[in-house]
Amino acid sequence: MQLVPTLIQALTAVDTAGSLSLRYQYGPIFAMLGFALVVAGAVFSLATFLGPKNPTPEKLIPYESGSPTTGAKHVRLSVKFYLTALLFVVFDIEAVFLYPWAALYQSLGWQGFVEMFVFLAALSIALIYCWKKGALEWET
Amino acid sequence: MKDLLLYLLPIVILFIGGFTLMLVDAFQKEEGGLAVPTAMLHFAAAAAALALWPYAGNAADLARAQVAFNGWLAFDRTTLFLDITIALGGGLTTLLAGSYLAEHKLERGEFYTLITFASAGCMMLAGATDLIMLFIGLETLSLGVYALTGFRRTSARSQEGALKYFLLGSFAAALLLYGSALLYGMTGHTDLAGIRDALGRAVEMPAIAGQEGAAQFVAVQQTVRDRVTILAMVLVVAGLAFKVGSVPFHMWTPDAYEGAPTPATAYMAVTVKAAAFGAMLRVLIGVFGDTSGPASLAGGWPGLLVWLAVLSMLIGNLVALAQSSVKRMLAYSSIAHGGYILAAFVVAPRAESLAGGGGSVGQSAAAAVLFYLLAYTVSNVGAFGALILAGSRGKEAVSYEDLAGLGKRHPAVALALSFFVLSLAGMPPTVGFFAKYNVIRSAIEAGYPWLALAVVINSAIGVYYYLRVMVKMYMHDPQPGAVRAEPMSSPGISLTLIATAGMVLALGMMPQRFYGYALEAVKLAAAPIAAAPADAPPANAN
Repeated sequence: MQLVPTLIQALTAVDTAGSLSLRYQYGPIFAMLGFALVVAGAVFSLATFLGPKNPTPEKLIPYESGSPTTGAKHVRLSVKFYLTALLFVVFDIEAVFLYPWAALYQSLGWQGFVEMFVFLAALSIALIYCWKKGALEWET
Repeated sequence: MKDLLLYLLPIVILFIGGFTLMLVDAFQKEEGGLAVPTAMLHFAAAAAALALWPYAGNAADLARAQVAFNGWLAFDRTTLFLDITIALGGGLTTLLAGSYLAEHKLERGEFYTLITFASAGCMMLAGATDLIMLFIGLETLSLGVYALTGFRRTSARSQEGALKYFLLGSFAAALLLYGSALLYGMTGHTDLAGIRDALGRAVEMPAIAGQEGAAQFVAVQQTVRDRVTILAMVLVVAGLAFKVGSVPFHMWTPDAYEGAPTPATAYMAVTVKAAAFGAMLRVLIGVFGDTSGPASLAGGWPGLLVWLAVLSMLIGNLVALAQSSVKRMLAYSSIAHGGYILAAFVVAPRAESLAGGGGSVGQSAAAAVLFYLLAYTVSNVGAFGALILAGSRGKEAVSYEDLAGLGKRHPAVALALSFFVLSLAGMPPTVGFFAKYNVIRSAIEAGYPWLALAVVINSAIGVYYYLRVMVKMYMHDPQPGAVRAEPMSSPGISLTLIATAGMVLALGMMPQRFYGYALEAVKLAAAPIAAAPADAPPANAN
């Protein structure tokens, strides 16, 4: 497997035409990447080495000026939140699919209509199922 | 066009049936009673596939169907053969589940809905000729099977298995997706025929032709494409090898198989394997099968797969020897069986490729894969069914100790388990013998004597732990004071086992006939892929 050397060769090959090389196609991206790494690294290392450090207990708490935290850090959340969020995602995606379909409704014709109908029918059955199984009830 | 929709019938039956089951489950007052309808759905899908068999013999029709469905699904006899295998496996395991779930107080309607949708996903995966369709099928079946693995909600084992399977499975899906993306990037196609044709051509860049340095640039591009194609092929194979649980992608198998309720284990073992091996057949032999052509660079896969095959056989069998749980032993033995099937894969592209008209050796190896999958389906469902029958609510029969003395106490159950275990071990006149025989014969014909030897040696190792089940049942007595696993009385399971045993015997008595069907199935497999226009349809061209 000589993938890496080949890629390096492809990116650094100097040929007579110059402008045809991959180096010129992807060069700016790699230059940008390198620049970003250098700048970010420089900022962080300068702050680490040059900045004054006088830690006090107040400075080390998460919210320096907030009210003191009370109770346990990990609150147990009801699984109902998860279920509701999941159902929301499913039907949200459905709505997202409807937009491009509506925009292209004329050109898709009957085939598009039938396909979307099948899709909506499947989701309606899922909704009925969730409803009957009590997934939409908060108090149980 | 409209008549072509009939080709979708097996999948459509399962999808509509699955939705109906959901509604029935939501509205019925009491749980239960869905097992038989679900099994009937599966058998109806199998019947539909069987009815389509004569129509799938016409190359012109297949090409027409290929174009009409944008090259997403193939409706050749390979697909139909796999559909029948999947539907048979799904239907039989559902019948087992009906009694098992009721006995163990797990009866919930979701089980049947999940199994039905997973079977539809299996069929999509088995017929997929487009990488996107392949991925959708894979996910449809995987999500169902993950949930089935974790179906025993009160059992920590079941939860552990499901979580492991889910996490590793997502990772494998990501590998497959990454490989697909690379293939698309290199060729501009997601359909397998398009990918194969694009890889068969050398890189051309008419836009820059004639400029100074153009030839050099194109040569570099060619090298990059070739290398990246290899990487993509490796990633796709890794993703599919995970689903069939071949070493070194087998880590999830024992835990998931042990944790899942036993019918779900049987289901996972047979249908998922059939579907994933079907997809492998299409990708490896359909796209990269021409090991002599310009795409031969990626055609190095037999050299890769041979390691997977030998390691799966060896590690699967050796670890199976050390198990004290029969269920876990069957999990490891399924890894080994995957290895035998992979051995046939290695052989298939030797001589000529399937896609390029098909060498007879390559075809007989591909037919050996299909035949093996069918044989494994009936034998394995039977073995798990007999294991289910040997236990009851008080105590499930899981370990070898649970089976001790079963031959004296309950000879019928012991006889059933022995019969199916012998078929898995590959004893004539059961079908397991002929499945292995086909693999070994095609390995020898293709000039891989050492691979044939590896299969034979591994089968011999396998016989040891399969016979150990019988030794425990007939020659050992249960330890005094141990809680005994008493067989449940279930006419449903008994009937299923009788039917399965009938199939094992029928396949074993008439192997040539069924092997002939498998051979017919792969003969035309090449046609639709080859007949699809190189750069049509426009929707798929980049």
